[in-house]
Amino acid sequence: MSDDASTAGSGSGRPAETDGGHAEPDGGAQAETVGGPPELPGGVARDEGVLNRLFGTSDELPPASSIRRWLVTTNHKDVGILYTGTALFFLVLGGILALLMRIQLLAPRAPGQGILSGFAYNQAVSAHGLLMVFWFLSPFAFGFANYIVPLQIGAKDLAFPRLNALSFWLYLASGILFVISFFQGGTFAGGWTMYAPLNVPTFTPEVGGSTAVLALLLFVASVTVSSVNFLTTMHRMRAEGMKLRNLPIFTWTILLTVWMMLFAFAALLAALMILSADRLLGTTYFAAESAGGSLLWAHLFWFFGHPEVYIVFFPALGVMAETFQTFTGRRLVGRKWFIAAMVLVALQSFVVWMHHMFLTSINLEIKTLFMATTIGISLPFDLMVFSLIYTTIKGRIRFETPFLFSFGALLLFILGGITGVFLGAVVLDYEFRGTYWVVAHFHYVMVGGVTALIGGLYYWFPKMTGRMYDEFLGKVNFALYFVGFNLVYFPMFLAWETPRRVFNYPAELQLYHQVATVGAFVLGASFLVMFYNLYTSLWEGEKVGDNPWEYAKSAEWAVSSPPPLENFPGRPSYASGALEFLGVGDDDEPDERREDEGVAAADGGVATGPPATAEASAVDAYGHEVGHGDHDDHHESHASPWPFALGLGSLLVFLGLSGMKEGTFVGGAEGAILLGSLLAGTVVSGVSLVGMGRERFVGPEVEAGEQWPFANVENMKLGMWIFLASDVVLFGAFIGSYVFIRVAAGWTGWQPIPQDVGPGLMNTYILLTSSFTVVLALVASEKRSRWGLIASLSATFVLGIGFLINKGIEWNHLFHEGIWLSTNIRSSTFFLTTGLHGAHVIAGLFVTAYLIWRAWNGAYLDDNRPVEYFGLYWHFVDIVWLFLFPLFYIV
Amino acid sequence: MTLSIGTTYLSGLLQVRGLIPRGTRINVFRSIFDVFLVLGTLVGVVVVSYMLYNAYKYRERGDGKSAGEGKAERPVLGELPTGGGGGRKLFLSFGLSAVIVVSLIGWTYGTLLFVEQTPAVDDEAPEDGLVVTVEGYQFGWEFQYPNGYVAQNTLRVPVDAEIRLRVTSRDVFHNFGIPELRVKSDAIPGQETETWFVADETGTYTARCYELCGSGHSHMVAEVIVMPKDEFREWYRNQSTESDASVDRPAPAGSLGPTAGVTGA
Repeated sequence: MSDDASTAGSGSGRPAETDGGHAEPDGGAQAETVGGPPELPGGVARDEGVLNRLFGTSDELPPASSIRRWLVTTNHKDVGILYTGTALFFLVLGGILALLMRIQLLAPRAPGQGILSGFAYNQAVSAHGLLMVFWFLSPFAFGFANYIVPLQIGAKDLAFPRLNALSFWLYLASGILFVISFFQGGTFAGGWTMYAPLNVPTFTPEVGGSTAVLALLLFVASVTVSSVNFLTTMHRMRAEGMKLRNLPIFTWTILLTVWMMLFAFAALLAALMILSADRLLGTTYFAAESAGGSLLWAHLFWFFGHPEVYIVFFPALGVMAETFQTFTGRRLVGRKWFIAAMVLVALQSFVVWMHHMFLTSINLEIKTLFMATTIGISLPFDLMVFSLIYTTIKGRIRFETPFLFSFGALLLFILGGITGVFLGAVVLDYEFRGTYWVVAHFHYVMVGGVTALIGGLYYWFPKMTGRMYDEFLGKVNFALYFVGFNLVYFPMFLAWETPRRVFNYPAELQLYHQVATVGAFVLGASFLVMFYNLYTSLWEGEKVGDNPWEYAKSAEWAVSSPPPLENFPGRPSYASGALEFLGVGDDDEPDERREDEGVAAADGGVATGPPATAEASAVDAYGHEVGHGDHDDHHESHASPWPFALGLGSLLVFLGLSGMKEGTFVGGAEGAILLGSLLAGTVVSGVSLVGMGRERFVGPEVEAGEQWPFANVENMKLGMWIFLASDVVLFGAFIGSYVFIRVAAGWTGWQPIPQDVGPGLMNTYILLTSSFTVVLALVASEKRSRWGLIASLSATFVLGIGFLINKGIEWNHLFHEGIWLSTNIRSSTFFLTTGLHGAHVIAGLFVTAYLIWRAWNGAYLDDNRPVEYFGLYWHFVDIVWLFLFPLFYIV
Repeated sequence: MTLSIGTTYLSGLLQVRGLIPRGTRINVFRSIFDVFLVLGTLVGVVVVSYMLYNAYKYRERGDGKSAGEGKAERPVLGELPTGGGGGRKLFLSFGLSAVIVVSLIGWTYGTLLFVEQTPAVDDEAPEDGLVVTVEGYQFGWEFQYPNGYVAQNTLRVPVDAEIRLRVTSRDVFHNFGIPELRVKSDAIPGQETETWFVADETGTYTARCYELCGSGHSHMVAEVIVMPKDEFREWYRNQSTESDASVDRPAPAGSLGPTAGVTGA
């Protein structure tokens, strides 16, 4: 399954094929024509002016009213809307679970009392946490990020539009999978923190528990794909004059969020892969007998978990900064210190995780260190809070709905933050651990973040839909929301002695819990008002122009509402110190474009014309391309069916995997269905990957702009480096886990599993040689030697196969000795870690085979970048082996 | 290393001067929590009031202007984002809050050291202090005394004595806490954590589980009986080394007890 996760998730084990595709014009694209930019139901009045005539149509994208459109779109604005809508669905689901819990908590319950059993209550509390943190909060924020970030930086779309759509479909698939888990004997019931060994089948045997874990795995794949995309985009596709320090604060927060995501989620991926191996294959990392297993999980999870809470909060902070500036009419006070503070938090977030473990067996020195770093991380937040407050001074404040929510969010965040300082004092944490003080604290800060994001929803609703929401209803929404929020969460501080995840609390606290339950329903009602308001406004709201907000200054407000398909009339540029659109009315400006970026990366396999210059293009008076297929000018694609197909395939694969339990498939009809799903999903995914690779898809052009510090690193290459950075953390976590467990079990007494160093040594030589042949392949392609290229790639392939055969023999020998994955912790760590590496080799060999086939047809002689990027990946895989070999065979 | 010696010296100094709370866990928690609560409320009230004050003062009035008219530059659509100045004031406020927060936490460090000290207990006089091993399981607590006696779900201890707890688990991750005595420790399988408490009033208290451990988590309670010293000495001498399953059967309402424990879901 790790194989699936890495290939399904990134699609970039095949570097050139993501959105480079073939640079040929879209001769064979769908014949559907569309008149003008997407329309919304109810018919937004289309701007019949200059903008529309300049852009004309994208012949591939069906109209917005058709379902097909939403299944094939790759446009960032559409994907943003998909994310926002889906996230709101999960908000409702998580909210209903919360209401069920609050009903249970109306009175202390003896066993059997109340509407939920102990098991049901645990499912509710776990699913509520998982759904809210993963399936609601970040996707909701990324709905805005998708929509707004390219507009704010002056890009036409994200760097890899199909990958963007893919992240959405993987997200949706993972959410559907999670919902399915409820029906497989009950979903995971061990808390969103999934502590070990409660998380292994011995204690949570239900199939739904495995499904929930797999759903989260799939979600992590979605996030990883998304991170690679956003990072490449924000570093390489900014408009001229928009240096990093000039980014709008919302984009800054997304930039930092995505950097944190890249590294934090890799650690979670490792934790979930190991947990899945324990649940599905029977490895024993987290078994109760494992000496360090329980603590290992705590370290892995919280190393991810702490950055995660900032990942979740940062976009909300960005929204607050934007709305504070717009609605007070002031620029952010101390802006560069605000940015510095955010960067500090992003870095520091990785060194505070043990404050979740103060009551474990870690020693005093470590506790002290983490107490210090935890207090350290609260300080930049102080600065940011003050900055926002000072921004209101000398402003002209309009209390419209977006600002009400942002202002309220700041207030709630201040309260939440102060209570966090209590938790940072270790002696107090000794008592607050596992109580509602923690629950109340994190709901204040996290739902405080939600509050700001709702402000963002109201703020950008007119931009995204072209219509204004109802302001009176917006204020009613806010009033109900703010009252409900404090009614539900403040009493939790007063009833702080209630243990977490417990519905049998001391009787004297009952009144607080009853008030909280009432508050929860009030809060829920406020969302009904919101949905009603936004839905009716979608159809009947007053139409708006480009900028309904006075003092809004970022680029999204300089284009129509909603923006045209390719966002801008001309090329946005800040070179003059303010936003301008250059080249309006003249489609091709070869001098503005970098020669090597004139078209999206082509792999040269099919003969194409020279990079775009103005000559052969047929344009009418407005620069609108006449027909398609007549030149290979940058005619971008906007639709592809493969992301949806791959999402579907992934859903089926991961659903099928849930049928495995400790090495075998569950029996009976359930097992048969799941096995069928696994097989069907594999086929669908395989076809989709091939389809996606072969598709002629032209991504957005990278125009002259700001690209520091990656000016000389082309998009595809940057994407590969970023993906590899994440892979480094993944392997680091696996190797770290092995070391941790081995230290806990006694380092020197641990006998290596392979009894003979020989096969391992042989494999080391094989891989080193294969790295050499990959270098030869690059040299051959630079020298335009087709046979040299084919030969060296084939040699690499053969060596890789040799590696696998050798490993196969070694493993077979071990199996015959009765040593399986599940035999003991030594075998578990050996097989899983070297197995993960082996899966990377297998993925690499698929790519090698593809490259050989293309090379046979004459590719890569002009443009050998795919060979180079594949080389990066292959060298990485070989370097990892150089660590694994001594650790598992020698010491 | 020098850092920890330095801070230990400093906190020792402060302890002598009475600034660091000492005493029972209840005492220690109460003192620190009260200070935090007062300061935290103060800070919260001040900051929030300031926020509300400014929001009110600079609101747009009916005439479309505010008290801030003409006093600051307004953002313009399409401008390259720059700041609104005001760095110095920001730094001062930030500096002040940093000083408050850091000193507050620094102050608690002395108490942390106090709590982490584990003075010896004398086996000869168990009524003056003893070590009890606590083992959690799904869904109850087992206590083992130095003389080998094992009790289920009831912990008897002498009043005014230091009770050291060594806590672990037989199966999953639990957490043993006696809220009224302000003591708590993680119960981790394969690991042992240590903590201590002093009960200065006799009576019966409840111990609960503070880490989600399965379907019986809500009812995983135990009874803690704090006895006068002579009564405890009597009782302790009378216990045999075999575990006593019948005498100390748990009475707290809602407890599932050891036999009702269900593994897994």
